[in-house]
Amino acid sequence: MIETIVNAVQLIVTALAAGFAAYRFVTSRHRAWLMFGFASGVSFLSNLYWQLYLIFYGETPHFSYIPDVSWYASYVFLLMLMHEVRSVPLPVFTRPRSRLLWLVPVFTAGMGVFYMQWGDPIGNIIAAVLMCLLIWQSINDLIALKDEVCKKKRLLYITVLIYCVSEYGAWTASCYWIGDTLLNPYIWFDALLSVTFILLTIAVERAVRR
Amino acid sequence: MNYIENIFVCITAPLIVAMFFLRGKTLRMMIFMLAGMGMCLLSAYISTFLAALQGADIFTASLEISPLVEEVMKLLPVLFYLIVFGADADDAADAVLMTAAGFATFENICYLIQNGADDLFGLAVRGFGTGAMHIVCGSIAGLGIMHLWKRKWIRAAGTLALLSAASVFHGTYNILVSQTGAIVYIGYSIPLVTAAVIIAAKVRSSRKI
Repeated sequence: MIETIVNAVQLIVTALAAGFAAYRFVTSRHRAWLMFGFASGVSFLSNLYWQLYLIFYGETPHFSYIPDVSWYASYVFLLMLMHEVRSVPLPVFTRPRSRLLWLVPVFTAGMGVFYMQWGDPIGNIIAAVLMCLLIWQSINDLIALKDEVCKKKRLLYITVLIYCVSEYGAWTASCYWIGDTLLNPYIWFDALLSVTFILLTIAVERAVRR
Repeated sequence: MNYIENIFVCITAPLIVAMFFLRGKTLRMMIFMLAGMGMCLLSAYISTFLAALQGADIFTASLEISPLVEEVMKLLPVLFYLIVFGADADDAADAVLMTAAGFATFENICYLIQNGADDLFGLAVRGFGTGAMHIVCGSIAGLGIMHLWKRKWIRAAGTLALLSAASVFHGTYNILVSQTGAIVYIGYSIPLVTAAVIIAAKVRSSRKI
C-alpha cells in the first residue's frame, strides 16, 4: 500500500514536471527545458508502463527492455540537460578537476558488479556507465563554478547528485527487500526521487534564467 | 493465415507507379510513406523472430517486444536519409511523420484483413487512436532530431534516448488497448489528446515567431 502511494506520488510529480517543462520550452525555446521535459516525461512513462502492467496482469513485465531502456534514456537526457546549461559547449566527458573524481568510476563499477548478482550484466554495465557520467559531470561542473552567474547552476548539479544517490539507494534497498513498510529504506529513497524532480524543476528555472 | 507480403505488394503497387510521376518534396514524402509500410512489414518479421527467440507468446511480444522493434524500424529510413543524404533537420522531421503515417496505414490494413470491416465505430476509434499513436511517436523523434542533430555526441545519445521515449509511449498504449471496456477508449484517446497538445504547442510557437 505504502509503495503504491509513493509510486502514485512519483507518477504525479514526474507528469507535472514534464508538463511544466513542455510549457516552458514552448514559451522560452531554451533547449534545457526540452531535455528536462524528456527526462521527466520518460521517467513518468516508464513508471506508468511498469505500474499498468502490474495492475492489469498482477506481475512485473517478463522482458523489461522497454522500462529499462527508458530509465537509461532519462539519465541520458539529464546528461544533455547539464550540457545545455553550460556556458561553453564541452564534450560529454570532461577532464577531471580533482583526482578524487577517479573514485567515481571505481564506485559505479563496484556497485555494478554487486548488482549483477540480481540483474542482467548488460543492463548493469549500461547503468553503471551512465551513472558514472552523471556523477562525474555534476561533481566536475560543481568544482568549476566560479563567478556569480555560474553559481546559479549549483542547485542543478547538487540535485543531479541527490538524484544519483536516491537511485543507488533505491537499487541497493531493493536487493534486500523487507516488505511494504515504512521501515523499508526503498520507500524513502523512492520518495526522495520524487522530491528531486521538484528540485530539478526549480534548478533548471534558476540555471537558464538570464 | 495472413498473407502480409501479398497485401503489401497490392497496396504499394499503385503508389510505386505514382512515384514515377512525382518530383521534389512530394516524391520524397511518398518514398517515406512507402518506407513506413515496408518497415511495418519488416517489424512484423523481426518481432515474431525475437518473440520465438525469447520464448514469448504473441500477446506478451505485442506488449513487451514489438513497441521497441517498431520504433527502431520506423526511425531507420529517416536516419539513412539524414546520414547518407545529409538532409536538413526540418526535412527529416517531416520524413519521420510520413514514415509513421505509412506504418500506421499498413498496420490498419492488416488489422482490417484479420478482424473484418463491419464495425465502423470500432474501426474509426482504432484507426484514429493507432494512427495518432504512431504520429505522436514520430513527432517525439522528429522534435528531437530538429533540436539534437547539431552536435555529434548529442546526435547519437539523443537518438537512442528518443527511441526509448517513443517505445515506452507505444508500450503504454499497447497495454491500455489490450484491455476491455472503458480502459480501451482511454488508451485510444491518450495519443489523440497528446497529438492535439503537440499541434496547439506548434501553433503557439509559430505565432510567437
